[in-house]
Amino acid sequence: MGCSQGNQANVVNIWHWMTDRQEVFVELAEQYKEQTGIEVNFELYAPSDEYSKKIVAAAQARVLPDIYGILGEKKKRAAFINSGFVADLTESFNASEGAWEKSLFEKALNVNRFKEDNIYNVKPGIYGVPIDVTNIQMLYNKDLLTKAGIKGYPKTFAQFIKNISTLNRIGIEGLVSGWGETWMVDCFASNYAFNIMGEEKIMATYRGEVPYTDEDWIKVFNIFKVLRKNNALAKGIVAKGNKYAEQDFALGRAAFAFNGSWCVNVYNDMNQDLNYGVMLPPVINEERPMSIWGGAGSSFVVNGISENKQQAIDFLKWLTAKDQQAFLSKKTKNLPANRYALSAIPEILSQFASAMDETTHPSIWKYNENPLVSETFDKGIQSIIIGEKTPEEVAQAVQEVKVREIEKVKKRSMRQ
Amino acid sequence: MSINRYKITKTISSIFVHTFLMAVAMTCLFPFIWMFRSALMTNQTIFVDKGLIPSTIHFQNFYLAWTKGGFGMYFINSVVYTVCVVFGIVLISSLAAYAFSRLKFPGSNFLFYMFLAAMMIPLPGSFVPLYVLMNKLHLVNTRIGYILCMINVGLSLSIYIMKTFFDKMPSALEDAARIDGCSKLGIWLHVALPLARPAIAVVVIFNTLNVWNEYILAMLLLNDKSLMPLQRGLMVFQGTHSVDYPLLMAGLTITVAPVVLVYLFMQKHIIKGLTAGAVG
Repeated sequence: MGCSQGNQANVVNIWHWMTDRQEVFVELAEQYKEQTGIEVNFELYAPSDEYSKKIVAAAQARVLPDIYGILGEKKKRAAFINSGFVADLTESFNASEGAWEKSLFEKALNVNRFKEDNIYNVKPGIYGVPIDVTNIQMLYNKDLLTKAGIKGYPKTFAQFIKNISTLNRIGIEGLVSGWGETWMVDCFASNYAFNIMGEEKIMATYRGEVPYTDEDWIKVFNIFKVLRKNNALAKGIVAKGNKYAEQDFALGRAAFAFNGSWCVNVYNDMNQDLNYGVMLPPVINEERPMSIWGGAGSSFVVNGISENKQQAIDFLKWLTAKDQQAFLSKKTKNLPANRYALSAIPEILSQFASAMDETTHPSIWKYNENPLVSETFDKGIQSIIIGEKTPEEVAQAVQEVKVREIEKVKKRSMRQ
Repeated sequence: MSINRYKITKTISSIFVHTFLMAVAMTCLFPFIWMFRSALMTNQTIFVDKGLIPSTIHFQNFYLAWTKGGFGMYFINSVVYTVCVVFGIVLISSLAAYAFSRLKFPGSNFLFYMFLAAMMIPLPGSFVPLYVLMNKLHLVNTRIGYILCMINVGLSLSIYIMKTFFDKMPSALEDAARIDGCSKLGIWLHVALPLARPAIAVVVIFNTLNVWNEYILAMLLLNDKSLMPLQRGLMVFQGTHSVDYPLLMAGLTITVAPVVLVYLFMQKHIIKGLTAGAVG
């Protein structure tokens, strides 16, 4: 075997984990062959955990395919790049006055971008191609809201709470989400932290310059107390996995949901008659826009040691062009990575995708919180929801862990 | 009077024992029943229809699962892998176990313990070295590569089971065969193997289950869809974010059926093997 898996000319090999997209990929590969004469083989390996192991093993044996995806943290992607297994695509993105780069959502590209002075020592550049995007917003059940006599959807938090009491009066539950999975609680709280205090203050908190006992953070924790007090959350929400929360919303058991854009697929499978819309989480601070989590859904990278590198790049360019993106989006109900494809996709997907410019994600922030602090933060919120702790108590507990972790880092750096 | 009391005690204890056993049996059977009833539903009804018998039955799910999952090709692959691997394991493990039990040679204990130690290494832990080795031998993406790896996976436990059985086997019959001029290999083939039928049955069922349900190693070593085993077909119904439960359950029912048949067919030997001390 050479340096990459299958080095035949005019054949591009792709390994991926996206079970629900295999059929469409194969269809697109056939179209590409008709247009260019180049054969593209999509090989599916799932579940994603096992796919990741296969990628690592193939990298060690230097038999990676021409195109593949790297799942997991940026750290892992950086390790692949530094080992030479991922091609730098910056030049291709910049060609023709950056036409390719401009056609894709910036936030999605950022996930694949390494900036100057990144902590991973990766040469600055773009190393991956997003093939779809994703973001997390709120959904509302139009039929349930109409049943309760509510017109439209709430745009402010105060309106939202008012809507909840109207819904509760006729026995409809308010908000459901998979808050048994702490990352989802973290995501919801982070949206409001951005809305209440803005990115700079959050980053200052992560750097240890602003304490969690600050009044803005108390406001963030207080949201969950208000939700609890007003009976706005579905029963058992802190023990609910997102799969179960999705069932509840799809079957009309709750009027609002907090979920990712992938839910379009899930709801369609569970209840094709579900009449729902997408909304940003209702703002508390009307002066500042609501920032939601989002970015690249799935990305492909080109094997840095592949002999078919240029053919692989050309195929990815074609795959992320407007027509192919609209086709992929319509068939798989995922959001397109190409911003020009929005006009040609179903309305619900277009609603989701139109908020892509409001997205942010921890993977592109300059600083990230210590995992232990994040854990205390998320669990603290869960304890507010179940009425075990007050916002002030949680803020104090999080700050204590933060101080302890900062001390640890200081001691470690002094020892070094 | 005392007979009556004896009868009453016996009846009561029998009721308790049978109730307990029925409860245990139900916990084992319930997943199968649930799987089968879910296989007859649609994606829309599966979350709302809570009855054990679905209100509308969709037998076509089995046909859809078979065609959509490409089960025809995968089924043949799984049968080939299972037959070859189980045959290989029975052949090699019975020879090795007989040698460990009857032949005295330097380092036999050390070698045997090395085989036992291999059981302690979890498969994912050996993924990378295994893949690199198979790649060097040009056996990645070949049926023979996968079969050899699977034989290797099943050998340790099988050798242990067979050796335990051979250790307890009386040597008088072998002595008689030796007097009649039978070679060591002849004694293994004509005396030891026929007597070890219960132990072989245990080895066969354990490894059939293991190979039939295996997917992780296949996914690591095989690239071509046409070489993949049956489990690959089930992945089609499991999306990144959503799952086609009825087709997945129909696929699982199809996948499980042959194993249940093998178990039913061999259960007499398996019970005999277990009670004869083939294990432990």
